[in-house]
Amino acid sequence: MLKTRRTAAIWMSFIGGFFIPIIYVMYSTYKKESINSLIGSGMNIWRRHFGWNWENMAPFLLPAGIIMASSLITQMEYKNNTWKQLHTTPQSYTTVFLAKFSAILILTFQFFLFFNIGIILSGVISCLIVDGKMPEESIPVWYYLKENLKYFIACLPILAIQYLISLRFKNFLVSIGVGLIMLIGTLIAAPWQHVYTSPYSYPIIRLMPGREFPTGLSPHVMAILYFFLLMAISFLIYIRRKEKG
Amino acid sequence: MSYCVETQNLNHRFSNGDQVLFDIDMKVPSGSIYGFLGPNGAGKTTTLRLLLGLLSKQSGTIKIFEKDFDRNRIAILGQVGSMIESPSIYAHLTAQENLELLQKIYQCPKSRIAEVLEVVGLGNTGRKKAGKFSLGMKQRLSIAIALLHQPSLLVLDEPTNGLDPNGIIEVRELLKKLNKEQGISILISSHLLMEIEKLVTHVGIIHRGKLLFQGTLGDLHVKQNQDSILSIETNDNERAMQIISGMDFKPTHREQAVELILTDKQSIANINKKLVESGLDVYSVQILRNDLESIFMDLVKN
Repeated sequence: MLKTRRTAAIWMSFIGGFFIPIIYVMYSTYKKESINSLIGSGMNIWRRHFGWNWENMAPFLLPAGIIMASSLITQMEYKNNTWKQLHTTPQSYTTVFLAKFSAILILTFQFFLFFNIGIILSGVISCLIVDGKMPEESIPVWYYLKENLKYFIACLPILAIQYLISLRFKNFLVSIGVGLIMLIGTLIAAPWQHVYTSPYSYPIIRLMPGREFPTGLSPHVMAILYFFLLMAISFLIYIRRKEKG
Repeated sequence: MSYCVETQNLNHRFSNGDQVLFDIDMKVPSGSIYGFLGPNGAGKTTTLRLLLGLLSKQSGTIKIFEKDFDRNRIAILGQVGSMIESPSIYAHLTAQENLELLQKIYQCPKSRIAEVLEVVGLGNTGRKKAGKFSLGMKQRLSIAIALLHQPSLLVLDEPTNGLDPNGIIEVRELLKKLNKEQGISILISSHLLMEIEKLVTHVGIIHRGKLLFQGTLGDLHVKQNQDSILSIETNDNERAMQIISGMDFKPTHREQAVELILTDKQSIANINKKLVESGLDVYSVQILRNDLESIFMDLVKN
């Protein structure tokens, strides 16, 4: 992670994580409605607040952020001409492959952390500004952790395919361009019964609870299977490259 | 004699079908400074990339420290420091941070970072990012990276590129010192013949993918002497031709001088003495083509 110091990737995960919560604070201040106004809706106010934030983050901003982050991490090596340096260190190619991917995973995890901190802070701040008091219900920590894990699993296919594209193509714009086109196409095709075939669909599928797919498998299982398949293809492409750096 | 780098029948063909290396049998003796010379496009960098596994080997064998590279890649790379083509440094990090990254990978003591930075003259760069360095500073940082883990073998691809004359001298002296004091074997590629001559103990000359010469610098100097031409200018070159022919040489008349292939130094004295004793005025006695560049040009032309 030392390599990501002072890079756009770090800033992106920070700004991206707080973006939607900041919009919420502005909205709730303008509308004079905090999360306390959700009391009596039949659901814990924090669960509603969490859902609102993820509904706005999951379809586009989250996948777009992953596309950018994974492209930036691999592109760093192309830009600095350091792939050859990496490949002449006493590390197996597997180690290098996984280490690079781990950096992207850590960035994604950081994003999740910032986003959740943002969700909690935006809830608290909206109550303090609008009601002059703290939120009246407690945070369902276990629920937050479970839901974050499910969203994280939903991101895995995108992480894997973007890693594959950015390893394969030196040009930064190719991986971002392909990623965004696929993402937009997936958003348009969201109602399609076979949308699960797109690795970019799983965060959106999470927002369609109860939806069933022809495979009969749960979306999380499909996401994990997709992830392993794409990572295996990525690894094969990487290891069989005749020129390393 | 043991060789730290040894290749046999190393061939390489690019994906477009062009063959760029032909049966390279390189032998770098342990403890030597081996200069790998050749013009641009000769195959120097391709050979070095193959040695380090940056290109997939297609045929032949590569041994480093007498071990097959493919089967012992990680162990070998732990003892090799390299700098291939342009510097590989993270522009957004400082010199220290660049080295910290590799210190973790090589698991060498943290104190080595300050040591190697001092050795290459970058001890005072502070928080300046490597992207703001001059080309010479980047080259030095790359050399520092190669030295960080105290390798037994350094593979350097044109390490003096972009350095000013002082910088070139400093790098040369540094490499000589490392070789002499720490016994580090050095394989250095260059197209700067005069530079190589001042540094190396062994030379390999490559041209169009073929290794045309390999041996000690002394062997190359012998060849240099063998191919040298003696040029003599007198007041009567025709007569000088006859006299020299009578001494079992085969002179040729070139413009205002007589030229012949020089075999040894004593011949110069003998010829000069004979010409003077014969009443000729000797205006000049010169040894022509007595430099590595001419040897190199002859080798590549042939």
